[in-house]
Amino acid sequence: MITPQDSLGSWDTRRIVRNMFPLLVVLSAIVLVAGITLEEAEEMLDRYGLLAVMVPTMVDMGGNLGAILSSRLSTRFHLGTTDLDPRDRALWIDIAAVIALAATIFTALAIGAYAIGVVLGSDLTLSTLLVISLVSGMSVAVIAVVFSFAATYASYRLGVDPDDTTIPIVTNVVDVCGMLIFIGVSAAVLGF
Amino acid sequence: MSVRREFWSIYREALPILLVALGGGLFAGLVLESIIESVQRFPGILVMVPVFLATRGNVYGALGGRIASGLHQGLIPPEFERNDRLVNAVVASFINGIGISIVIGVITWIALLALGREAAALYELVGIMLIAGVLTSVVMIVGLLALVFTGYKRGYDPDNLIGPIVTTLGDIFGMLFMLFAILLVGVIVP
Repeated sequence: MITPQDSLGSWDTRRIVRNMFPLLVVLSAIVLVAGITLEEAEEMLDRYGLLAVMVPTMVDMGGNLGAILSSRLSTRFHLGTTDLDPRDRALWIDIAAVIALAATIFTALAIGAYAIGVVLGSDLTLSTLLVISLVSGMSVAVIAVVFSFAATYASYRLGVDPDDTTIPIVTNVVDVCGMLIFIGVSAAVLGF
Repeated sequence: MSVRREFWSIYREALPILLVALGGGLFAGLVLESIIESVQRFPGILVMVPVFLATRGNVYGALGGRIASGLHQGLIPPEFERNDRLVNAVVASFINGIGISIVIGVITWIALLALGREAAALYELVGIMLIAGVLTSVVMIVGLLALVFTGYKRGYDPDNLIGPIVTTLGDIFGMLFMLFAILLVGVIVP
């Protein structure tokens, strides 16, 4: 008997490309919003170069946290060990760990950026950087958690392979939110 | 496993690699700062930065997720060998990664025109994306597979490794190759 496991099934090149490419185009169009936001903030980034140094981490770390969560969820779907029941304790442990990781990493980002600023000669204080990093970072982390669940659950219910959709959707939405929040919080804190 | 032990095991396993991702992100940020200086030469470059970085995550995050599931399910071995599934997945991510790079150049150019902003020539934007896209794809695929296979064989759960590996490699090499492509196109185009 031939089961889907025996044939190449979802591991066929053309099938992967056909499933993913349209999604990639849509996602790029969405993230274009983040790009335009970045371009509009060029003057502020020119004035405070340290903000530019923080941009890739700020934008990607939310995606990282979301990806850790959705990757754990989608593997458990594959193995059939979860059904997204809110009483499932493993889900809450995952969330708590992701939030704790976010608090640690965004504190470290502020300290790292401050250290670079000392070398490069920046006038941003550590407390300013901590406020910018933690306010935007923790907001992004919460958004990452919510979207990881929503996207994994939706692809599970729609019967789409979560590996092909969940991680891209989570990282992109979080990317855009990360950029908008980071630029917005920075502008508010620095009065730009 | 108790709640507290489970929590700390996820935290402890993810933290080191997230700190590595942080280091990579800060390095990429320094490269981005120097890219900002070339904005005058190629208007619209900054628009492409987040889209290009996000795409690295999309294509290779999906590849990584697929490899992780394949490893968990025993469908692929953790080795660089001719395995049909592995080859298909790698070829597909190559096509996706390079194809979408070209699309990014085009939609950025269209968006800038539509918004009435200043934009570099279409072939300049597409050329920069194509060069950066091809170079990043090669490094990303080899680096991702090497790190995930090694991590898996040493007993790390690939789930916790992939996101951060992809974004770290993507940030560092994405920004470096984009800067390289900007400089190269700046030299070639009179």
